[in-house]
Amino acid sequence: MNSEPATNSKKQTAEQATLETEQRYKRLLASVTDYVYSVTVEDGRAVSTFHGPGCEAVTGYTSDEFEQDQQLWYRMIREEDRPAVLEQAERISKGQETPPLEHRIIHKDGNVRWIRNTTVPRKDAQGRLVAYDGLVYDITERKQAEERLTSAHAELAANEEALKRTLEELKAANQELKETQLQLIQAARLESVGALAAGVAHEVKNPLQTILMGLDYLVPNCPAGNENMAMVLSDMREAVTRANTIIRGLLQLSAQTDFEIKREDLNASVRRALNLVKAQVIASKVSVVRKLDAHLPAVKMDRGKIEQVFINLLINSLQAMSPGGVLTVTTRAGQFGENLKVNETAFRQFSRGEQVVLAEVQDTGSGIAAVNLPKVFDPFFTTKPVGVGTGLGLSVVKKIVDFHGGGVDIQNAVPGGVVVTLVLRAEPE
Amino acid sequence: METEKKRILVVDDEPSITRLLKLNLEQTNDYVVRAENDSEKAVAAAEEFQPDLILLDVMMPGLDGGELASRFEANPKLKNVPIVFLTAAATKSEVYTRGGKVGGLRFLAKPVELSEVVACLKKHLGEETKT
Repeated sequence: MNSEPATNSKKQTAEQATLETEQRYKRLLASVTDYVYSVTVEDGRAVSTFHGPGCEAVTGYTSDEFEQDQQLWYRMIREEDRPAVLEQAERISKGQETPPLEHRIIHKDGNVRWIRNTTVPRKDAQGRLVAYDGLVYDITERKQAEERLTSAHAELAANEEALKRTLEELKAANQELKETQLQLIQAARLESVGALAAGVAHEVKNPLQTILMGLDYLVPNCPAGNENMAMVLSDMREAVTRANTIIRGLLQLSAQTDFEIKREDLNASVRRALNLVKAQVIASKVSVVRKLDAHLPAVKMDRGKIEQVFINLLINSLQAMSPGGVLTVTTRAGQFGENLKVNETAFRQFSRGEQVVLAEVQDTGSGIAAVNLPKVFDPFFTTKPVGVGTGLGLSVVKKIVDFHGGGVDIQNAVPGGVVVTLVLRAEPE
Repeated sequence: METEKKRILVVDDEPSITRLLKLNLEQTNDYVVRAENDSEKAVAAAEEFQPDLILLDVMMPGLDGGELASRFEANPKLKNVPIVFLTAAATKSEVYTRGGKVGGLRFLAKPVELSEVVACLKKHLGEETKT
């Protein structure tokens, strides 16, 4: 029979094919940097492990080394990652599905490598677990890229934070610049009004002198019983006085006014100013509350000019109040911004902790409309009826206080009225 | 009596001011006033008038009050005549700068009422008669 040689030939062909498949498989495994391992399981326990040829490229160890040292796979895992790997092995040994696990190993050359370990259970016809296969990918480069990305993100976040801070600082600086600009405009306005005043004063005072002397001549020569003429002359004298008051106010804004700076008691100036406006206090039917600090340090100032400041502030308050109002004048001393709190933006000339003296004049009037608050120090700005104020009182106050290196702030008080705060440097004993 | 009246020389470049000062002061019957609007002619006018007191404007064209006061002081016939500056100058220091130390800084700031002028004249004339 020639069927036997034919059978042998088929068998040889099949064996040859199997051999070729195995060789191809081995070549494939040897060619990849990732590798496959197989774990044989008996009664739910791993009994042997085979590591494919690619293991050397990933771990640095050969299949033989893993074969000879069955604990090598565990020792190469970085210590802090071992619990997670053990848990994965335990679950797969029980036939449970496990998600891929990414962990670190220590390469034979001592470097840390990241791997992704994906396991697949292998079961027999009865569904019992007989082995599991694992595919190990070297993901070191990806992890390093991720770390660089995370680091870049962190850096970006830090930069963003720094940018936000810079933006905030920029906003604050811009705000400060705007306020300084406003102050400069105000100062320039005061200066130009002052310079103008000095020039105009001479020209206006001579005609006023003529009118006044004319009135002095006409009054005694006014026909007796002519009430209208007497009234006209009286009105004219009042007009001259008013015009002269404006000129005086303007001159106080000019740089040509004299200052005699000496160590003085601010409380004494407050008392004298209160005494000078006594008649207006009585006429206004308001009460005055004095809260003067008995231990106020001395201040270097021009007594007359500071009295002028208080007179202007007191008169403003008196004119703002109805009968029954309360005028409160307070003085106290302290460390600026520490035990003496004020609206610091209005007093940028002082440093925190600097020894200062503060005076407040507070009324219970109707207050100042918020829209008008930034204008109150402008020359000729007034909310008073025509003829009541010149609009120069607070400009003069600011000019004098500025000359002393001090600061002045005006705000609406709670629950009503206005509070003017004046801060001057205290003189050391 | 006319001889008891004090003689006041008013020097100011504003004719309306000198005219009204003359009218007002002479109306009191206590003073004889001579007005001079040209400061260049003021020394000659003073030498001729022999005033008891000079009311002197500060800011005048040509010779100003300060220079004029120096000339009065330098003149043997006038050096003891008290000078009161009548000025529209802004401050005491301005009066001082322009007028120097002549006359010792007596001044009246414009606009001034007649009563103040009279009080000032009485004060300084009184002072002068005592010395």
